[in-house]
Amino acid sequence: MKSGTLELAGISRRFGQTVALDNLNLTIGAGELVALLGPSGCGKTTALRIVAGLERSDAGTVALKGRDVTNLSAHLRNMGMVFQSYSLFPNLSAVENVEFGLKMRKVERASRRKTALELLELVGLDTQSKRFPHQLSGGQQQRVALARALAIQPEVLLLDEPLSALDAQVRTNLREEIRRLQISLGTTTLFVTHDQEEAMAISDRVGVMSNGHLEQIDTPDVLYNNPASTFVANFVGTMNHIPAEQQGDLVSIFGKSIRVKNSNGISGSISVLVRPESIEVSRAAGSGNAKVITRSFLGASSQIICQTPDGAVIQALMPSHESGDLHPGEDVTLNVTLNEVLVSHV
Amino acid sequence: MAAMRNRLSFALPLTLAVASLFIFLPFGSSAEFSFRSYSQDGKLMHSLAPYRWIVEQPEFLSHLLLSFKIALFAVIFTAILVVPSVAWLHLKAQLFRPLVELITLLPLVIPVVALSIGVQTAFPDWLQSTEYELPLMYVVLALPFTFRILDNGLQAIPLKTISEAARGLGASWIATIFYVIAPVMRRAVAGAFFLTFALSLGEFTLTSLLHWDTFPTWVTSVSQQNIIGAIALSVFSLTFAFLVVFFASLSSSRSKKRMDATE
Amino acid sequence: MTNSYVSSKGVSRKGGTFARRNLIIAAPLLPLLAYLGFFFFWPMFAVVVDSLKNNDHQWSFINFTTIAQKPYSTAFQNSILLGALSALFASIPGAIFAYIIEVRGSERLKGFVTSLSGVLANTGGVPLAFMFIATFGAQGSAIKILKALGVDLYSGGFTLFSFSGIVFVYLYFQIPLMVIIFSPALHSIRSEWRDAAKNLGATPKKFWTTVGIPLLFPSFAASFLLLFASGFAAYATARAMTVGNIALVPLVIGTLVDGNVQVDQANVGKSLAVGMVLISALAMIPYLIIQRRARRWQQ
Repeated sequence: MKSGTLELAGISRRFGQTVALDNLNLTIGAGELVALLGPSGCGKTTALRIVAGLERSDAGTVALKGRDVTNLSAHLRNMGMVFQSYSLFPNLSAVENVEFGLKMRKVERASRRKTALELLELVGLDTQSKRFPHQLSGGQQQRVALARALAIQPEVLLLDEPLSALDAQVRTNLREEIRRLQISLGTTTLFVTHDQEEAMAISDRVGVMSNGHLEQIDTPDVLYNNPASTFVANFVGTMNHIPAEQQGDLVSIFGKSIRVKNSNGISGSISVLVRPESIEVSRAAGSGNAKVITRSFLGASSQIICQTPDGAVIQALMPSHESGDLHPGEDVTLNVTLNEVLVSHV
Repeated sequence: MAAMRNRLSFALPLTLAVASLFIFLPFGSSAEFSFRSYSQDGKLMHSLAPYRWIVEQPEFLSHLLLSFKIALFAVIFTAILVVPSVAWLHLKAQLFRPLVELITLLPLVIPVVALSIGVQTAFPDWLQSTEYELPLMYVVLALPFTFRILDNGLQAIPLKTISEAARGLGASWIATIFYVIAPVMRRAVAGAFFLTFALSLGEFTLTSLLHWDTFPTWVTSVSQQNIIGAIALSVFSLTFAFLVVFFASLSSSRSKKRMDATE
Repeated sequence: MTNSYVSSKGVSRKGGTFARRNLIIAAPLLPLLAYLGFFFFWPMFAVVVDSLKNNDHQWSFINFTTIAQKPYSTAFQNSILLGALSALFASIPGAIFAYIIEVRGSERLKGFVTSLSGVLANTGGVPLAFMFIATFGAQGSAIKILKALGVDLYSGGFTLFSFSGIVFVYLYFQIPLMVIIFSPALHSIRSEWRDAAKNLGATPKKFWTTVGIPLLFPSFAASFLLLFASGFAAYATARAMTVGNIALVPLVIGTLVDGNVQVDQANVGKSLAVGMVLISALAMIPYLIIQRRARRWQQ
């Protein structure tokens, strides 16, 4: 594969009064899978469409392997794109859809048919090659769409929420398949989604966007454990916000004094950001520091929701065999199992 | 690509200009004609005289009211016959929907002229001597369209589910119809009524071949007496139709905006 | 659909058979079907029966052999030609106009065009005839404008009341009709397909030749058929536009109904009607079939 670096520099776009993108800078390395993650309206799809050439930017450049493609027409960019749904041509069979890009490049019939069938085999649909889109399930259609995008040996693969319209089980399977293919082909990939679990599961790096800005771009690990802002902390995974008092560089929570990671040194009221899995719940010897509200058995883990006397609701996630059989109403002791925590200075 | 877009950006204004010419030149020309009258010494004047003449004709009001009456009854017959049938189809008889839909499309296949002959041949004398045979037939003529409007309107609504929910909460059938079914059908029913009414008001072929005299046929006969009066009548009918449709589309887009805003 | 019925009813009730339950569900539909039976099927059946009877009330094909000859065959030829020509000259401008509105028009414009087309598609008869006389008649406004531009249509013997004049007038409601029935097909051309095609290297022209036109062709053909049936069967406008000089089937039927019947042609009108139905059905049935299929993937 001849994939290369994709570079966005200073991309801005507004629609009337609304700012869709504000000075977006992003570099994707060759063979990397980067996800753009964010709620609807954050600008991720606009950014993707600008890369594809289906939208133009008001300012900024798009460069592929060092070559400026900003003003290059969409049909000359050699990027494969998979849309959210309904993008297969209904009058063409699966194999005819897959070979479409090759037909446009004037590849001769036998050769393009062979390539198309190989790709369909790669996505496990070689037996359905003669079927038409309306005869295929949603998951099958998206796999054909993927094969179609890959058939042209693109330098960049662009995915616009390709799994959003699919059932949960199909979604999980297909995202693994996409990742597997992407790695084996080494294609530089930009993947847009609003599903953080999806983004975190398969990406090399994830860029969290909000209101046209890129809030943070890092590996899933860093994003999860070191969110740069409250938005990122809340959007990626679940986060508890526990009100507490900061004194200098320390915060006292559940009777423990813990160092504040992002301390500004000022004492005052803050919210401590703790992930559910960093909260330990144990049956109280006496009256404890919280009461159990509900306990949900999720299989390997259990989710326990508790409430402190001053009204804060806290979510904890523990291995089921350690959480025992806590009942609603029971007195428990909560404990933060970290040495340092992030806080948000409200 | 940007260059191409600019090259084609005149397509819409150009098309609209040509279309406006095509539509409004004939209308404007006949409107201009409709204000014409000739003074004593043969000079051409423009005034409301032809319109005054129309309105002063006793047959104007009588024919207009007759057409309104017939249109109204066509709507009533549709309300009694078609609306409940479509509702039932969606509520309990989903199985028969494709078949019924097919049957309702048949009137489209038959030209109205042929149907008129059929009516004349088949109907008993007592039926053919009452003007109510017209609205009864208009229901058939409008059926392909009214059925489609009602059917489409109900496609989007899980009628069976919400009715069962209402019944489960203790509502009688009457209450369910009144509080649940009727409100969700309101828009489609209004559309069906509107279409039936408009079709009936303007229907010419069946009326003329069955030798009835309603507003559209009267307009035709007036043309033999007073050309300008007839033109004025035509302009009047067309303007009325334009205005009604215009206001109907305004109200539907307003309610659509309201619906979109609540999402 | 069948499934929902079975699952909601569950096991067959005591004493009820499958057929009996179907009957109970179908019962409330009987009024509608009975209504159609009386007000639609029976008249048509009566016409067919009478068309096969001669003046002595015996079974005979005489009416059909009569209409196969002049002057009736001429009327059929004229009507078919009128339907075909008006469909031909309306379908292409109508499709192009609908396309431009669909692709470049705002939502408000589209709604306005739909409503306006609805009104125009139903204009006909005397009002329409007078509009055209006022515009294209000898003293018409368009003629005056063209004269001022140096073009004199009437010098070539043009008249509105000729066959081509009627075709021209028919365009006024045929084109809006085309816009109405063809727009849904255009609407169903998804932007995703255009974007995907662009992304895969297709120019707009390539998109249309490989995807767009093949997809639209059935609907276009169906629309053409509907326009043909519309032009073939139109009565009011034909009546207003001819002064007895052009034979058209609807008009011939009209004169026969008006009582100007010679005794030995009592049932010719009925066979003419049957002929009309056959030709109309020949166009409308394919139209309906294509539309139903097209609606499935348009969903």
